[in-house]
Amino acid sequence: MSDQRGVRAGNEGRESKYAVKMDGITKRFPGVVANDDVDFAVERGTVHALVGENGAGKTTLMNILYGLYEPTEGTVHVDGVPREFDSPRDAMDAGIGMIHQHFMLIEPMTVAENVVLGAEPTKLFGLLTDEDAAVEVTRDLAEKYGFDIDPTDRIRETSVGEQQRVEILKALYRGAETLILDEPTAVLTPQEVEGLYGMFDELLGEGKTIIFITHKLGEALRAADRISVLRDGELIATVRADETTREDLASMMVGRDVLFDVSSEAVERGGATLAVEDLVVDDDRGIRAVDGVSFSIEDGEVFGVAGVDGNGQAELVEALTGLRSATSGTITFDGEDVTDHSRRQRIADGMSYVAEDRQHRSLVMEYDLLRNGLLGCQRLPAFSNGPLVDWEATGQYVDDVLEQYDVRPPDRSALARSLSGGNQQKLVVGREFERDPSLVVAAQPTRGVDIGSIEFIHNRLLDLRAEGTAILLVSSKLEEVQRLSDRMAVMYDGRFMDVVDPDEVTEEEVGLLMAGQHPDGGAGDR
Amino acid sequence: MADQRTVRRTAGIVAGLLIALVFLLVIVPGALAIGLKLLGIIDASYARSALRLTVPIAFAGMGGIFAEKSGVINIGLEGLLIISAFSAIAVMWFIGGGGAGARIVALFGGVLASLVVTLLFAIICIEFKADQIVAGLAVWLIALGFAPFGSIVIWETVNSDSVGSFDPLAVPLLSEVPYVGEVLFTATPPVYLMLAAVPFSWYLLNRTAFGKHLQASGEDPKTLDTAGVSVRKVRYMGVLLSGLYCGIGGAGLALNAGQFVGGGETITSGRGWIGLTTYLIANYNPVGAFLASFGFAGLDALQLQIQRVPGVELSSTLIEIIPYAAVLVVLAFVGKTRMPESAGEHYESED
Repeated sequence: MSDQRGVRAGNEGRESKYAVKMDGITKRFPGVVANDDVDFAVERGTVHALVGENGAGKTTLMNILYGLYEPTEGTVHVDGVPREFDSPRDAMDAGIGMIHQHFMLIEPMTVAENVVLGAEPTKLFGLLTDEDAAVEVTRDLAEKYGFDIDPTDRIRETSVGEQQRVEILKALYRGAETLILDEPTAVLTPQEVEGLYGMFDELLGEGKTIIFITHKLGEALRAADRISVLRDGELIATVRADETTREDLASMMVGRDVLFDVSSEAVERGGATLAVEDLVVDDDRGIRAVDGVSFSIEDGEVFGVAGVDGNGQAELVEALTGLRSATSGTITFDGEDVTDHSRRQRIADGMSYVAEDRQHRSLVMEYDLLRNGLLGCQRLPAFSNGPLVDWEATGQYVDDVLEQYDVRPPDRSALARSLSGGNQQKLVVGREFERDPSLVVAAQPTRGVDIGSIEFIHNRLLDLRAEGTAILLVSSKLEEVQRLSDRMAVMYDGRFMDVVDPDEVTEEEVGLLMAGQHPDGGAGDR
Repeated sequence: MADQRTVRRTAGIVAGLLIALVFLLVIVPGALAIGLKLLGIIDASYARSALRLTVPIAFAGMGGIFAEKSGVINIGLEGLLIISAFSAIAVMWFIGGGGAGARIVALFGGVLASLVVTLLFAIICIEFKADQIVAGLAVWLIALGFAPFGSIVIWETVNSDSVGSFDPLAVPLLSEVPYVGEVLFTATPPVYLMLAAVPFSWYLLNRTAFGKHLQASGEDPKTLDTAGVSVRKVRYMGVLLSGLYCGIGGAGLALNAGQFVGGGETITSGRGWIGLTTYLIANYNPVGAFLASFGFAGLDALQLQIQRVPGVELSSTLIEIIPYAAVLVVLAFVGKTRMPESAGEHYESED
């Protein structure tokens, strides 16, 4: 398959068989070498995956190709021609288009307006924009590549999958021959991911070249012709997808062997630690985000909540942890109705919370690790001395966490800001886990964390479970929820579509539930 | 479609205010008789003076839209009105009166002064990333101090000498139309400029590439940047447009009156602030902002007329509250005003 593509492109007689060739790329930031003498080449008409842990330098490398950064050393060739990009505009002119992880779309504008933004078709000698032409050109492009999208829809009315297509159209409109996609599957349901791969085929059919960044090895193996692995800014290897395995890739990425199977042993269960009855929660705009959810979690049980982001998971978690008041329904914790308890009371009750957005919710970036390690616990008897904080006890606790959770640097006077994402998260997880909670609410506990830390956090979660702690795990990574949970709910549009046994259910079935459909073909109840 | 909605909404609010006024007249004993007397006041000359009073408010309001849409909140509108009002009169005084040509030169003088101050404001906000609210307040406070001071230097008192004002220009034929002709086509140049600026602003915002870039810059500057458009340039243009508009508004106000008054809140007496409320009420639609400005100016003119009706005592300060009360009501209860996502935030390009 990949060979055919290569040959077909080669026969068109262009100067170079490489759409993109980067030689000896080094990029230094103050104190960091983000890319170290990287040679990276992509054949025209192929899909090339760039894998690596967070901070391995994938995005930096692609930002250089897209003109956002200038390389400290090294050269970039596009279609065999040496290029120097000062800005994304230069890269676009050379036929490079990038679809960022966080979509770059103006929400109140229409699909067509976004597609042409910055290069609007005009009429009346350039005085006015030609709205009809913009719609027309968008529709033509969408038809050519088989994208199902209405150019007159406003972005805020479109789904995440559609927004991704708008981003691709934007790049194509600007004449992109090579498309760079940064973590394109992070926000999609499994079905939408398949749709994305379908789009890859359409694009290849038109002679385009695709580079996609991912840290999910399964995706790289499934969709790419070739895979390049980056680690600590160095290119470890470029391999053919059909000649490698997941295990090989993982060990190249991490630099050691990784165990994919986390063993979860059966644990003796006690009674229900948390019971939620008919919980209804509204979001900031007063729109119902959680619409009548009931469940319970026993001691020593991991209850998983899967689903595409934005289906009420965040509000559910906030209501449970006391950050948002419930509109109706009850929350019972250790046999006590805590629905009206404040956040502080819930902490005192033994509820721990690993927040989705660690930099805003879990840490004060300008505090040192000592104070961050105390955050939320400052009123607990173990850390206070009358009205004052017991800094000695706090110091011991934080040092313990830093050591046990391998937070680097293990220096309590370092600022949280100076830590990498993975280390920040390990600090948060350690702080929340070590205070002997009876319930842990873990929201996206491994988001934006490198593989080594993910493995560690997963193991610690299972340790807690073995100690009889109830755990609510909310994650948009289906794989994670499926692997760790004892029972798994799939959330869609504020409701649990179903609660399933993660070992019995297939990814396909869960994907349908995540999209609001029951696998037997019936639509969701809303 | 959304634009029509906001126009309708603004029209609705203005109508609501008028209905409330009528209602007041009916329920307050003896008010009805006074109300009938007031109705007698509402004639072409009243409408003309209302339109003249709309000039500074509408220009400040429409100008503010450009700045805020681009992501820079310009609350210095009031200060810019003061600067240009003072400068226009000063220029007029220095060239020593003369014909209509001198007034046009004075208008340009006012606009230029406003643009210079706006450019400083823009540099401070965009290059030096100062807090936009603080910088905007500084513009106002500096203008509030500088203009009367300048007056004293030139005229030895905070109020300028009378320098002559714009004469109404009658448009041939159209001015013959009863009532409408008297109001719309026998007006001063600033009024004509305003009537032209309303559709111009709407088109600029909604039908040009620049308008789209302005919107993108205020919503999500990074996206605009990656689309290859310089956010800095767009923001400078947006802010400078607000300065241009305020320049015309302030100079127009002063040249309609023929004098600069430097005491208290100065001749502008808070009209820049009212301008700010009009575009919030109108959800950043220049047509709506103009309608709201006209509504408030109408109340202002009415209040002036009422003083002349015997037996009526209405506090002018009470009337002055109305725009601010209206904006609170709109923001709190109508609740459709949506600020640009990134308004007030600095943007730094990554390289």
